[in-house]
Amino acid sequence: MIVVENKPVEDILQMIAPYKKVLIAGCFGCVTVCLAGGEKEVGLLASQIRMARQKDGSPIEVLEQTVERQCDKEYLDKFQDNAREVEAIVSLACGIGIQYLAEVYEPIPVFPGVNTQFLGANLDVGVWEEYCMACGECVLDKTGGICPIARCSKHLLNGPCGGSQYGKCEVSKDVDCGWHLIYERLKALGQLDKMAEFIPAKNWHREKGPRKLVKEELTLERD
Amino acid sequence: MSCKDNLRVGIYLCDCEGKLAPTVDFNKVKTNIQTTANFEFIRIANFLCGKSEQERLAEEIDRYSLDRLLIVGCVDPKIKRQFIEFGEEKGICRYHIEFVDICKPGKENVEGTVSLINEGLLKMQDRSTIVYEELNVLPEVLVIGCGKEGAATALAISENQPVTVVDNESSQEGKQLIEGKKNITVKTGVKVVGLEGFPGQFLVRFLDNGKHVKQSFGAIIVALDAQPCFNQDKYQLRLGERILSLSQFINDDKDYSGQKVTFLLGQADEDSLLSHAAVLKNALMLKEKGADVNILYEDMKVSADQLEQDYEAARARGVNFLKYNGDLQVHLTAVAVTVRYWEPFLPQIEQIRLVSDYLVLAEDYLPDSGTADLATALDVRTGPDGFFQKDNVHFLPIMSNREGIYFVGSCHGPIHGIELQKEIETAKAEVGRFAGGKVRVLALQPQVTAEKCAVCLTCYRTCPHHAIEIVHDESFNNMYHSAARMHPLACRRCGICAAECPGKAIQLPLYTDQEILQQISRPPKLVAYACENSGALAADMAKSLDPNLQIDLQIVPVPCSGKIDALYLLKALEQGADGVLLLVCHKENCKFVWGNERADQRMEQVRRRLREAGLEEDRVEIVYLAANQGNQFIASVQSMAARINQLGSNPGKVIE
Repeated sequence: MIVVENKPVEDILQMIAPYKKVLIAGCFGCVTVCLAGGEKEVGLLASQIRMARQKDGSPIEVLEQTVERQCDKEYLDKFQDNAREVEAIVSLACGIGIQYLAEVYEPIPVFPGVNTQFLGANLDVGVWEEYCMACGECVLDKTGGICPIARCSKHLLNGPCGGSQYGKCEVSKDVDCGWHLIYERLKALGQLDKMAEFIPAKNWHREKGPRKLVKEELTLERD
Repeated sequence: MSCKDNLRVGIYLCDCEGKLAPTVDFNKVKTNIQTTANFEFIRIANFLCGKSEQERLAEEIDRYSLDRLLIVGCVDPKIKRQFIEFGEEKGICRYHIEFVDICKPGKENVEGTVSLINEGLLKMQDRSTIVYEELNVLPEVLVIGCGKEGAATALAISENQPVTVVDNESSQEGKQLIEGKKNITVKTGVKVVGLEGFPGQFLVRFLDNGKHVKQSFGAIIVALDAQPCFNQDKYQLRLGERILSLSQFINDDKDYSGQKVTFLLGQADEDSLLSHAAVLKNALMLKEKGADVNILYEDMKVSADQLEQDYEAARARGVNFLKYNGDLQVHLTAVAVTVRYWEPFLPQIEQIRLVSDYLVLAEDYLPDSGTADLATALDVRTGPDGFFQKDNVHFLPIMSNREGIYFVGSCHGPIHGIELQKEIETAKAEVGRFAGGKVRVLALQPQVTAEKCAVCLTCYRTCPHHAIEIVHDESFNNMYHSAARMHPLACRRCGICAAECPGKAIQLPLYTDQEILQQISRPPKLVAYACENSGALAADMAKSLDPNLQIDLQIVPVPCSGKIDALYLLKALEQGADGVLLLVCHKENCKFVWGNERADQRMEQVRRRLREAGLEEDRVEIVYLAANQGNQFIASVQSMAARINQLGSNPGKVIE
């Protein structure tokens, strides 16, 4: 899941300062699951904004709407009636949804209501941890199912480094050493020999700029 | 506005023997309602509380197959009670009878009455999901623990329904008492390792002598005997021929007649009535066999049934009760054991030397060694000293945090025999509900709108009662075809799930967002969300303490403070309140485990949000109080009223 964190309302208030009518756009996908951008949060933020603006003597009208996913155009179309009504939109979707919404509804300004954090697992209510960095070339088979890119502070493919002590990373005593975790897992799996295997450096150079995935066998011939 | 087609509503407009006729034209109301609302039957009545009217009402309920009643007139608690009882006789559930009080100031006209009636009809629609559900349940009961307590529990329950008793490795003292008995199956070497399902249909996973097996039960009773444990560290004494632990003493069959035996209490058995009970019982037996018996005690604990009698009997038969104070010393020789101690009431006397042949040391009682594992497997909680159940006044003795799972006897703390009997009787009554294989329950559990459910698991994880499952159903209109479902037998209706849901997919019947927000649509200066187990009761008490109490305050009762949604706090302020109070149960004393902690966290969240919005965070405050703290209620409300007076009018209120 994509994990996001709510932006401080001060920041959002600043973004929408010039406007008198805005839409808060929620998303029913990851941001609802990570308790930051669902219908509930839309309501809380809307209430906060109305009160803040009332207090400042510049009342604002705030519309609220949540759609299934902001990363699909068909769902974004559901905002059109409300979008027509407002001067600006605050999206509580992840960075993907915010951008796509801005693209679809140009020239209405779209502002981020959240800071997109990482791809992670929900360990417990209110606790998330980064598990994947979408590097595009998975090595989990070599590392006992623990990602060295996401979970080693230095993204080392061959670790641990000298900064690993008592299972913690030198970056912070609250951070597990990813390679220590990998070592323990491989030990449990009886695959410690994999520790000695050299993993060649990744090619981080992106020859073609931002990544795009096209599966030819699935694409439609559109005129 | 119309009610759902399947509701058969009867509307009764009562003019209270003509008393209400001058203020409201009932014929106009009736005409108006007839054109706007959807219902089965409407009638203007003259005196609905009267006997003849009630007979007519009963007849009409049958004739028109009415299943909902809307009573319009003057309404007070007594009238409400009368109609609720009447409804129950006629098979109409209490939540399907709605009262519209038209004696409200400002509403005493046709328009006002019609709007109140429409509100009532809307409420009825909200409550349309409240119906009786008949559920199949298994009568089989699982008793965990084959000690004396487990056996006694199994014997009692087997009178009504089948019982399986399992035990892993702890004391199996009760085995011979129940083996081969009708309705009882005994299995030893069996460990409970997991639990799925809900009351009435639990699926228990066992490790049965090394093999994984599973079996279904309607209810589960944990009845593992607490185990006596000699604590060497506390006594600093080595056990031997003359110094014995109480369980060593009980288990040996030596003849003590003519011997001097001293029991020592109060050194390693604090808070344990069990050790006092055991010492008294053994002292009496010993005395009867002709021994010379002393009981050395610091404080004699007799606060359980029968203990006082045992104490009196022991004294009458010549057991010496000797009180000591503070430290004592024990000296052991080849022929005797001597205790030196200080007598608290005779300070002029030097240390007393008590010489005996044997010294018997009372012991600690500890939870069965499997308690922690079992608590994890059943997802129930442990409390003080690792025994089952939290230390919480709202929890009745046998209650766990889950419906259908009960703690009986010393597994939830050392208790004495007669209390055990009472607990067994209570547990028997509880599980007895399932003996017939079917139960009828009012479906008052929260309802989930599948279209809004993101199956995020927030409700599932925050439910303190393990009452929620994620179910798959192709008819659910969301991308997962799955949604959360609250089980009617497992749910305790605290509403924590509804307040946690990030998609607003969950509504608790009788306390829907609409019903709650309606109460604060035009709030006074101060709004108090009050837990019905503490704050709301304290408010009632405050009224009786001070009938002239005048505070501009709207109390919004909630079943648990965990139901207080962060949105309710912001909405109250947005819609015009100057301050909001949360009246919640004392810490660690929430009837629903952690509802008050969630309320506290949400208050902090809302305070942050107010800060961020440039508003005074002090406009929101939490008050911990108990049901009997009417004075505390008055003090808190007055102090909050003073605070908001000082802060002035809420600058964030948005009133159109």
